[in-house]
Amino acid sequence: MNKKRIQVNDVELAYVDEGEGDPVILLHGFPDSSYLWRHQIPALVEGGFRVIAPDLRGFGDSGKPQEIEAYGMQTIVNDVVALTMKLGIRRPHIVGHDWGAAIAWMYAFLMPRRLDHLAVLSVGHPGVFATPSLEQRAASWYMLFYQFPGVSEELLRRNGWRLFKEIMGRDGDYDRYLRDLARPGALTAGLNWYRANRSPEAELRPARPFPPVLAPTLGIWGAGDKALLEEGMSASGKYVKGPWRYERVEDAGHWLPLDAPDEVNKLLLGFLGTEQAAHEERRPRRRL
Amino acid sequence: MTVDYADVVIAGGGIAGASAACKLAAGGLSVVLLEKQEEYRDLVRGEWLAPWGIREAQRLGVYDCFGAGGGWEIREWMTWDEAVTEDEVEAVDMTRFIPGIGGPMSFPHHQVCELMAAQAVDSGARLVLDAARVTVTPGREPVVTYQTAEGPQEIRARMVLGATGRGNTVGRQIGVRMRNSMHHWGGGMMVEGMDGWPADVQAMGTEGDVMFMVFPQGYGRARLYLNFPTVNKLRYRGPGGVERFLAAFELDCLPDRGKAVTEAVPAGPLSVWPSVSSVPEGPPLTEGVVLIGDEAGNADTVLGTGLSCALRDSRTVCDILLGGDDWSPAAFAPYLEERDFRLERLDFGASIISRLHVEFGPAATERRRRVRKLMAKNFAAQVTGLLNMVAPEDVPEFGFSEFFAERLFRETA
Repeated sequence: MNKKRIQVNDVELAYVDEGEGDPVILLHGFPDSSYLWRHQIPALVEGGFRVIAPDLRGFGDSGKPQEIEAYGMQTIVNDVVALTMKLGIRRPHIVGHDWGAAIAWMYAFLMPRRLDHLAVLSVGHPGVFATPSLEQRAASWYMLFYQFPGVSEELLRRNGWRLFKEIMGRDGDYDRYLRDLARPGALTAGLNWYRANRSPEAELRPARPFPPVLAPTLGIWGAGDKALLEEGMSASGKYVKGPWRYERVEDAGHWLPLDAPDEVNKLLLGFLGTEQAAHEERRPRRRL
Repeated sequence: MTVDYADVVIAGGGIAGASAACKLAAGGLSVVLLEKQEEYRDLVRGEWLAPWGIREAQRLGVYDCFGAGGGWEIREWMTWDEAVTEDEVEAVDMTRFIPGIGGPMSFPHHQVCELMAAQAVDSGARLVLDAARVTVTPGREPVVTYQTAEGPQEIRARMVLGATGRGNTVGRQIGVRMRNSMHHWGGGMMVEGMDGWPADVQAMGTEGDVMFMVFPQGYGRARLYLNFPTVNKLRYRGPGGVERFLAAFELDCLPDRGKAVTEAVPAGPLSVWPSVSSVPEGPPLTEGVVLIGDEAGNADTVLGTGLSCALRDSRTVCDILLGGDDWSPAAFAPYLEERDFRLERLDFGASIISRLHVEFGPAATERRRRVRKLMAKNFAAQVTGLLNMVAPEDVPEFGFSEFFAERLFRETA
């Protein structure tokens, strides 16, 4: 798939843009790129959608600012907003995995009127994470690990990236991640996603009230996920005002789009564009 | 004929050549890297980098190419050998020889070279794959010609680096003669599905008429090597060779009689070669041409230091090229001096290791037994083993005296 390039929000983004029809934005996570969606893109195009899959900033062929501040969630949501605006897309479906799912939730909070359907894979609503169980804290220990600026690049890289390989195991595109992360600035950029958004203090801060999600929302969780527990996704429904659907995929780990491509394709095709938002504002705009 | 100009032309895109291309291109020189393969494939080359070689890779700025290309840190070294009883087997911790480095690395050679070549290109070098019939005419302005699908090409350069490995393509053209010796034959193959083998552990040992080596590369993959006597050099050639190669690891000295290895699945070609060491008779350079890596001379592969040497050569020569405008042969005197010293030590050490571990039969087994006793009694007798881990100049000098070798072999004869 050929990638196009576009300058938005002070960063150059590379993105895949295929097919015609209602637009779907696919947001990958760490340490992936639009390549994560290689099984979904043709299926969705076949299903009559226009699929846009960016390499989010810091990943793949996109720009890699080196400052931590460049990776705040709002900044990245702004990348997505700016990308859709430049492409003339008003109301896309948003699908996210891992960090991409976190971005998708945030997009739903901030841009409710610019969202059609929402599908989140692996990572549930941040409200559930604001009070993580001990079990969830243990499972995600490596998220906290990435907090120590300067040290963790060194630790992850040393001995042939041994620690990174041990954390990653044989999951996802494990053979490919290091090639991507070894590109200049890529490891720091990838880790900055964690540094910018999960400081230890933020971990301990009580839940902020999140705006309710009005869009129809599909949550998918893989039963073999070693980093994120099922409660994170299954309990997300209480934060969704729109129609909520939860699907558990048995034969998949964290990397659902790779582990269960057919199942994920079927779920997405059966969900996107099928529901009406619960409290969709229908009021005509008042004119002065 | 296309005529081109470059500061440096590098013939050979292996460990030495590709790493030099990275360093020189990053230093702002115009570099052309010639590689004879159309694409990088598994040619069954050396895949073990000593801790001191890892430090060279860091200094060259190519360290990440190793990790990302599939490099795997090995932490422990087991000697499973017919001369070692089961309760004598000890794990040697290899992670503490050089502070901050950790254990040696095992990696898919061709993938690492491919990443280094790509990094060189990112830094501005030009990579030419499928470059055939390379000729080098030395001189103050050396000329390189080669052939590609587009026809004959010519590059005028300020410097040519010969890095074509044991093939000596450039060395022969500039009249560098090698003194070759062969002690045994070797063979190697990549396997996968070795999940029963501990991923942190490399093993070597001798039993019957094979000396085996297992270097895990993580994820159940491993590079296997066998060294065996010249008299039976064709044993793994022909139909069924791969099966015979794997079956050779069914050894009494290995846990479970080598089941983890014999049940592994081939994941690359099997290659067999005479294990030759080549020491140059004169300096490995001339006006406008410098040899690096195996092409500049090498010790027996049994030592596993070929790649570390290639990186040391690359780093030393690049430092000279980037350090000043004097690229005359005289400017490379420090390189030649250090290399002579290094190769002499490695050649000496490799000959001791070959005689101890790659000779077969009851007398040789008895000798290995006695050597182990001697080493247990007098730790200093293990000095040669250090050559695998630390740079040759850091190994105590007594290990390279004829007196030491003579005593070692006389006391154990």
